Amino acid sequence: MREAAMIMTEPIPGKPGDALKRPPVGEQAEPVPVEESELVTRARKGDLKAYDQLVQRYQERIYATIYHMTSNHEDANDLAQEAFIKGFQALKSFKGGSSFYTWVYRIAVNKTINFLKQRKNRAQMSLNDLDFNAEHDPDLVALISDKTPRREAALTELQEKLNEGLQKLSEPHRLVVTLHDVQGLSHEEIAKIMGCNIGTVRSRLFYARQQLQGFLADYLK
Amino acid sequence: MNPDSENFDSLRQLLALKRHEVPPPGYFDRLSRDVMARIKAGEKGGQVGAEFSWFQRMLSMFDVKPVFAGAFGTAVCAFLISGVLSSDQTPVLGDATPHVGGSPLVSAPVPEANSSVEQLMASTTNSGGSGSLFDQFSLQTRPVSYLPNNN
Repeated sequence: MREAAMIMTEPIPGKPGDALKRPPVGEQAEPVPVEESELVTRARKGDLKAYDQLVQRYQERIYATIYHMTSNHEDANDLAQEAFIKGFQALKSFKGGSSFYTWVYRIAVNKTINFLKQRKNRAQMSLNDLDFNAEHDPDLVALISDKTPRREAALTELQEKLNEGLQKLSEPHRLVVTLHDVQGLSHEEIAKIMGCNIGTVRSRLFYARQQLQGFLADYLK
Repeated sequence: MNPDSENFDSLRQLLALKRHEVPPPGYFDRLSRDVMARIKAGEKGGQVGAEFSWFQRMLSMFDVKPVFAGAFGTAVCAFLISGVLSSDQTPVLGDATPHVGGSPLVSAPVPEANSSVEQLMASTTNSGGSGSLFDQFSLQTRPVSYLPNNN
């Protein structure tokens, strides 16, 4: 179950079952895993099996990012599918200047932000269940133990408040928090995905955390 | 301003909760399957792959790099503005000839200021005037009766 819980935050697998090694986002100088470039080449020629492997490799991270941005499983499902379909359609315009991962990530992020701008005031949360490990996470237990003995109910309430707080942030601020504090990406990787400089990422992260801390003051020690 | 140096430890602990939110079991098996099914369905419909139109390709490029969308919008606006400006410079009747140094480049026949309406009408009918556009068609006017014909 621990593996299942961490599946959204672990680096990307090279192939199913392999040791995890995430390719650096947008780095040209760094060696991109050969297999990915091969898969991309084959997919560009219309090999659907190759593209299927690429989808399976990145779907968890793409889905997770969209889900954390929307706080809605159904929306995240639709947007993740559309991002991968769009990725396949636009594969011929992919020049290889960045990794496929960064490229498809950008498609997903732009699609999500466009969707959120249209959705605006009719946001409705549809949250995923917490896994079993949440109740035993020492960090989380420390946050709720003195409030109520019913950990599960307290965690669910905490989950709702946390998502409400995140939804109050603007899209760029929510994205930075999601990518850094939830997904574990570096400032540099986020800058490449968002197309801004690292200073902007840092300042947005600082501001977003300050805002969140204000929203969630009652739940923080 | 370094966000990592500030005291956001409690918040980061709380944010760790997000990592425990997981979709229903087997969801990711279905996701890739659905994606591939939709791609195949699109290919059969001729919407993706080789037949992918330039317009759709352009739209997909906007998704990848929104700056292209901005550039495209700017170009369209510039085109519209230049169109409006050039239409404002369209010559007005009566002053159709461009002037250089105050004198017209081509002298066009302009009716005299004191010419009457009848004179103007006469110059535009086929009453023997040599300058009418309709002379070659020998246009004639006849009175028309709308009464029932008794013949």
